Amino acid sequence: MKFGGLTAVDGINLQLKRGSIHGLIGPNGSGKTTTFNMISGYYKPTSGQILFEGEKISGKPTFKITRLGFARTFQNLRLFHSMSVLDNILVSMEHLARLKLPELMFNPFSVRREENSFIEKGRQILELMQILKYENEPATSLPYGLQRRVELARALATEPQILLLDEPAAGLSTTEADTLMDIIFQIREQGVTIFLVEHHMRVVMNVCEQITVLDHGRKIAEGDPQTVSSDEKVIEAYLGQEKEMEKC
Amino acid sequence: MKIQTNRRNLLLTAGLIALIAAPFLTTNNYQLYILNILGIYILLNIGLNISIGYCGQINLAVAALWGFGAYVSTLLTVDLGINFWIALPLSGLITAVLGGLIGLPSLKVRSHYLAIVTIALAGIINMVLVNEREITRGAIGIMHIPSPKIFGFEIASEFHYYYFILVMTIIGYLFARFIIDHRIGRNFIAVRDDYVAAQAMGVNTAYYQILAFAISGLYAGIAGSLYAHKINYVSPDIFGFHSMMLILTMTLIGGSGNINGSVIGAALVILNESLREFEDLQLVLYGTAVVLIVLFFPEGLVGLFDRIRQWLANRRKKIPVSEGTP
Amino acid sequence: MATLPIIVQILVGGLGIGGLYALVALGYSLLYRAMGLVNFAHGSIYMIGTYFGMIFYMGMVGGLNLPYGLCFVLGVLLTGILGIILERVFRPLADLDLMLMLLGTIGVGVVIDNLAIFIWGAQGFAVPRPLGGKPLKIAGVAIQPQMILILLVSAVLMVALNVFLKRSRIGKGMRAAAQDREIAAAMGIPVNLTNALTFAIGSGLAAAAGILAAPIVYVSPAMGGGVGVKGFAAAILGGMGSIPGAIVGGLLIGVLEGYSSAFISSEYTPAILYAVMVAVLMIKPSGIVGETTVEKV
Repeated sequence: MKFGGLTAVDGINLQLKRGSIHGLIGPNGSGKTTTFNMISGYYKPTSGQILFEGEKISGKPTFKITRLGFARTFQNLRLFHSMSVLDNILVSMEHLARLKLPELMFNPFSVRREENSFIEKGRQILELMQILKYENEPATSLPYGLQRRVELARALATEPQILLLDEPAAGLSTTEADTLMDIIFQIREQGVTIFLVEHHMRVVMNVCEQITVLDHGRKIAEGDPQTVSSDEKVIEAYLGQEKEMEKC
Repeated sequence: MKIQTNRRNLLLTAGLIALIAAPFLTTNNYQLYILNILGIYILLNIGLNISIGYCGQINLAVAALWGFGAYVSTLLTVDLGINFWIALPLSGLITAVLGGLIGLPSLKVRSHYLAIVTIALAGIINMVLVNEREITRGAIGIMHIPSPKIFGFEIASEFHYYYFILVMTIIGYLFARFIIDHRIGRNFIAVRDDYVAAQAMGVNTAYYQILAFAISGLYAGIAGSLYAHKINYVSPDIFGFHSMMLILTMTLIGGSGNINGSVIGAALVILNESLREFEDLQLVLYGTAVVLIVLFFPEGLVGLFDRIRQWLANRRKKIPVSEGTP
Repeated sequence: MATLPIIVQILVGGLGIGGLYALVALGYSLLYRAMGLVNFAHGSIYMIGTYFGMIFYMGMVGGLNLPYGLCFVLGVLLTGILGIILERVFRPLADLDLMLMLLGTIGVGVVIDNLAIFIWGAQGFAVPRPLGGKPLKIAGVAIQPQMILILLVSAVLMVALNVFLKRSRIGKGMRAAAQDREIAAAMGIPVNLTNALTFAIGSGLAAAAGILAAPIVYVSPAMGGGVGVKGFAAAILGGMGSIPGAIVGGLLIGVLEGYSSAFISSEYTPAILYAVMVAVLMIKPSGIVGETTVEKV
């Protein structure tokens, strides 16, 4: 993937196994976020393509990719600040909605029925995330850790086949990170494939079955946590960065 | 909960009675005229609010759309002899389509760029109205537009028109309420708050952006038809930029993002305009007042009422201790 | 009728008027760069700047009939001072949502417009041409002397502005403050002062445009409307906030206006200008010269 004259990511070959938890790690600037954005449809790759079940999705508008079964969270938390927690979740039901415009505008009965079914589903997810009691609070008024859960709940509400998590553990305390890991396992139980980009090594090592490591835009290692953590190239890549920071 | 609902119902009934009785409380025709104009501006404001306030789409072509709707309705009835009761919804629909078209640039540009684009498109509409004299009679305008007739009864006087506009305004308000409170409104707000996140959640933001524009076109078109057949005259200069600024002022002063604000804002500005003759110094004061309100009450009057209500509510109950991270 | 001399004549006229639009557009872009403010009162500033200059030229102040050049300088200076005062008023508006900013700045515009009406009446007046009305023949093309003056002075002003911004210390400070307010302030650049200066310069340029235009248009409190919108369109067309963009945009609109009036339809010319602007923005949403930035997720 090139930006102007800069090649951010070069020749990455990545395959996700259905039902697995797959992590993407690498030192800063290795191209993790770029790769993530390409998979989630935010960037269109300048070369190469992204396939889902054999179908090409790279270059499709983001909302279509979501409707095909991809959901994502944002590292910087992009909750809808004017809405309550529940409403944030309800937005994600959009692609499940069946009513067309004329009905939406003129048939209060079907609208109400559809809304109620959404609210049911939404509450179930909030329950799963243990935040049901906050359903009517303005989403951005919650403490950071809870907002992260709303973000996650919102992505889940799209009933995805693949869940893309963008640094889900960023800024979480140890207890919060533990809860996150539990939640990730629970989500996987429901048959969702999980792909995450993360810096938080403890979470990555405990949760992921497969890990891909990037450095300077290239894949340098791949495998289960055991293999990857003892891989020389990986250690060097991270240490190399540590050395650079020591110089400063 | 029950007490609250009862109190609300009481207020609503009282309000309704007041609205129905209003014409009998006025002392002259001019006041009735003002009330009727108010109704039309409320509709325009609701349309603008849905686009700008709820969906975040800057649509400064609403006044031009209003004019377009007025002309469409006029030409349908005057030139094509179509019955008013068909022309009315038809103008709404045709203007909605034009509104949607005007919304297309919003898919590529935002913010002040979108502002100038909608101003430009409005200017083009106005110029077509002025220059296509064959169709529109140009700057002279069109006179003797027929008043609506229902079962042979002509709705011509301010008094009769009041009830007609009252019904239309209430329908317009309820319709807007319905849209805002359910899925469409939610998606509008999602687009406004963060369109990237909205797309990531599966919302077709382009669709909703155009829809917002189209809805403001719908309201403008209906308002145009009501206006044309009320004062029985249209001309292009009624619907120019200064009109747009007036409507914008009403929406912002009332409170953007809240259709109750549309009602309040329209009421305030219209009342203000009707109470004074336009002398220059008073316009200076008006301008100053606008600036002050923008600076100190950016959420508009609705925001002010909300803040007061919050403050009162907080005084009555203990403020809950904010929860830490569980 | 499209003979070469006529084409050139229209080009010259278009560049002249375009130069004026550019001066006005510069005001918009300078302010936007420095404060993030879109100033919808700029058209009114253009108008009042013209009045500030012309009241001395027309003997409306104590019977004084000052020479045109002196009136120009006076008008620009007085408007500059007005700009400094206005910066104080506009400062809180810059942080607001666009619609509120629009409304607030328009409110100020309304105040200025109606003060002008109050003081000098709504009628307005015509200004005699300081260089006479006889067109000069240059290379077979007939050009009004005032137009030559406009071309020269606006060019000089644009060059002077560029030099000032790039070379002088104050200019560099202004550019730094425009790029990043916080860092500039941390480095000791008085941001409020540079903003006031920017406002003064932007307003002064608008006044210059108005005073230059006065002999060929009709001076009245309403004169700012059309020019205000066209100047804004020019700034957006070139890329809001871009100095070369404002100049390009202004000249382009001036020239387009000229050719459109002459060869297509003078009635529809504004519509054609609008259409061109919308088309350009559809292709390049950030304007002709403006930069495109990739939004970070």
